[in-house]
Amino acid sequence: MDAVTKLKSLLQEAELYRSQGLLDEAKTNYLNASELIKNDKQLKIRQKLINSIAKKIESLDKAIDKVEKAIEKPELSSEVQDVIKKMFLFAAENEDTCALDGAIALAKFGQYERALTEFNELIKKESIQIAAAKNIIKCHMVLTSIDDAVNQYQLWVDNNIFIPEKLDKIRIFLQDILDKHGINKTLLQAKEDAKDKETEKVIDSKLEEDEILDVSSIGIIMDSGPKKGELVELDVTFQSGNVISLLIPEKEKELIENFKIGTILNDVQFFSSIAIFSGSGAIASLTEIKVGPRKGYYNLDMKIMDS
Amino acid sequence: MAIFNIKKREIECKIVYYGPGRCGKTTNLEYIFKAYQKQVTGKMVSVNTESDRTLFFDFLPIGLGKIKGCDVRVQLYTVPGQIQYSSTRKLVLSGADGIVFVADSLKVRREKNMLSLKNLQMNLKEYGINIVKIPLVMQHNKRDLAEKGFPLMSIEQMEKDLNRQLKVPSFPASAVTGQGVGDTLKACMELTLKHLHKELGWGYRV
Repeated sequence: MDAVTKLKSLLQEAELYRSQGLLDEAKTNYLNASELIKNDKQLKIRQKLINSIAKKIESLDKAIDKVEKAIEKPELSSEVQDVIKKMFLFAAENEDTCALDGAIALAKFGQYERALTEFNELIKKESIQIAAAKNIIKCHMVLTSIDDAVNQYQLWVDNNIFIPEKLDKIRIFLQDILDKHGINKTLLQAKEDAKDKETEKVIDSKLEEDEILDVSSIGIIMDSGPKKGELVELDVTFQSGNVISLLIPEKEKELIENFKIGTILNDVQFFSSIAIFSGSGAIASLTEIKVGPRKGYYNLDMKIMDS
Repeated sequence: MAIFNIKKREIECKIVYYGPGRCGKTTNLEYIFKAYQKQVTGKMVSVNTESDRTLFFDFLPIGLGKIKGCDVRVQLYTVPGQIQYSSTRKLVLSGADGIVFVADSLKVRREKNMLSLKNLQMNLKEYGINIVKIPLVMQHNKRDLAEKGFPLMSIEQMEKDLNRQLKVPSFPASAVTGQGVGDTLKACMELTLKHLHKELGWGYRV
């Protein structure tokens, strides 16, 4: 194929890819075409072609940027929120857990304000009070700030919304978050009469209810790579049952080499506010954050296999 | 996960369209919405970005009428194909009873197809499901683009890349023209209902 035919073919395909929304593929073709022209000194209207292709690449870059910077979790219409609430119920057993799952689904899809409204209704339901309260705290943290989460807890303390045992579980949960964020604040405990209860009892009932403790961070002894033999600690940003999300800073990028999807790490220490336990974890997903303040970080989901 | 209400004689199941970004998952649902009006039981809900990419999911409810004395309803979903929406993709996949894997026939998308299929396998594994055990149908989409001069992979090549081990039913298709869209859905629904029949004993109890 001579240079002109090859050039025509590259440009034609680039246009076709663009029409299909395959922006990266279109850009690759334009770049290849541009290189081809630059190397062909005898081509007439050479500079004009180079300029024209440069404009097309610029326009593609803008379109690619727009795709990459799309808001990940925008506020949706109430109609779509209703679909999410109704259709993404995960393990609902009864009417209350069904409502709780619906609200959690809204939060998972980033509809925090509506989720918050629903969770605030659900704390009135005895069987799901604690789960609803923990989710209210999580929503406050995403929507506004940790301070708001603390204020919310304070309101629950002042208004005696929960029995002392339950309030204590929520306190442990929030205190753990505060400690993890290096906030030097000790939350008020539940009523005096609850203080006498043995800590063991609290721990036991917490274990029964949640099965998996709230994990604040994990430690992994690296068995390969530049940090071989070292203990690497990573903070947990979010937890859903036995799946935890970890944020890996850009400067720790070399760790990613050891974390492939599906990899099972057999020697993991899980740190919670009340205990450290060892176990194994499977890498469920690994995504580079492309936009926002955490751009360049990696979000890693790990499933706690056994502990 | 299918909801089987013996008392009301209703069965509701979920079919998810999976595949790489821009492979035509939404176009499949749009065609179904237009061409099968009689079966469509509600509005098609789409959540897109400004750049017309699926952000969360597309949702289309359809009804198949009475089968073995049961009212069968199917919810069709698409996942977002773009790499960055990994967690949403996994969320939408949860509870799927059947899957349509939409592969892009364009040569330049060969690797993306394989990565997406691998991603499907991993996400199913996370939910404790083996990809060979779930009702799965493959669609080789965009076959019409050969006429427009796009370099396409041959069906043989795509089968070798994606279906050599799975050996699931596969269909050449063009979601834009509708060719193969109905056949794909029909095959997936048949497999899904057979699977549910086996799993739930549906058809014997009612």
